[in-house]
Amino acid sequence: MAVESDVLDELHRLRNRVPQLTGSLAATVDGLVLAHDAPGTEPEGLAALTAAALGVAYRMAEATARGGFRELLLRGADGYVATYAAGPAAVLTLLADGRVNVGRLHLEGRRSGARIGELVAAGLGPERGRAPAAEPVTALPDPAARPIGTLPVRTPQRPAHQPAPQAGGHHRPT
Amino acid sequence: MANLETSLKECLGSIDGATAVALVDYTSGMALGTLGGGKDFNLEVAAAGNTDVVRSKLRTMEHLGLKDEIEDILITLNTQYHMIRLLKGRGGNGLFLYLVLDASRANLAMARHQLRRIEGDLEV
Repeated sequence: MAVESDVLDELHRLRNRVPQLTGSLAATVDGLVLAHDAPGTEPEGLAALTAAALGVAYRMAEATARGGFRELLLRGADGYVATYAAGPAAVLTLLADGRVNVGRLHLEGRRSGARIGELVAAGLGPERGRAPAAEPVTALPDPAARPIGTLPVRTPQRPAHQPAPQAGGHHRPT
Repeated sequence: MANLETSLKECLGSIDGATAVALVDYTSGMALGTLGGGKDFNLEVAAAGNTDVVRSKLRTMEHLGLKDEIEDILITLNTQYHMIRLLKGRGGNGLFLYLVLDASRANLAMARHQLRRIEGDLEV
């Protein structure tokens, strides 16, 4: 529990430093919520979507030999979604409005990601020691056995419930 | 007309006391190009931070009802000058040049004059 509250403190600090931040979420790479500060969004759904996006990102980075995952940035017409690596077992997802200073978002997001990575490593180290092995790329038993164009199977696959519809009315990919 | 790399090189090469320069997009806070600075002066941090300076000044002018434009901003430290020069026209909207000068070696009037000339020649 101490880890979750420390991570939540970090999310609150981040919100103070980046005023245009509308939400933040720390989750494990397999889609479980560690802490969230995202009013008006469904954290479990966002964590699951983050994990799904990470699965693609890992594979894309691997296929193009870009090295380990660092961050993902998505820009919509009304704002940004950014995901930063937080150690090998966790990620930090930030929601920001369209006026945000992306340079600052990157600086603060990377710093907080590293900090959360340390907290997670210190707090969950012994019991979640297998966490790095849960990364989809390393978890593959045999990449050649999987048909081309299919994603590695990961658990949990589905969010506990569907994310709430956003103001922008986006569609959930199926 | 000069391209970005040439202009950044010219800033460091022809302006006395110049130690670092960046072209920054203040709609995003990210640098389009940087030169100099080195390990002890992170130009990405400077780009993000000075974006807030420019945005804040523009907002203040809007609140004051000033229908005018920023030409440049000078920040004087004990040992450095920081100069911010907004680009005009030719797709340069939303960009500024950020120049760091060593106060003991720089000639402020000359630096401002040269930066204006380089900015005028810069084609983004």
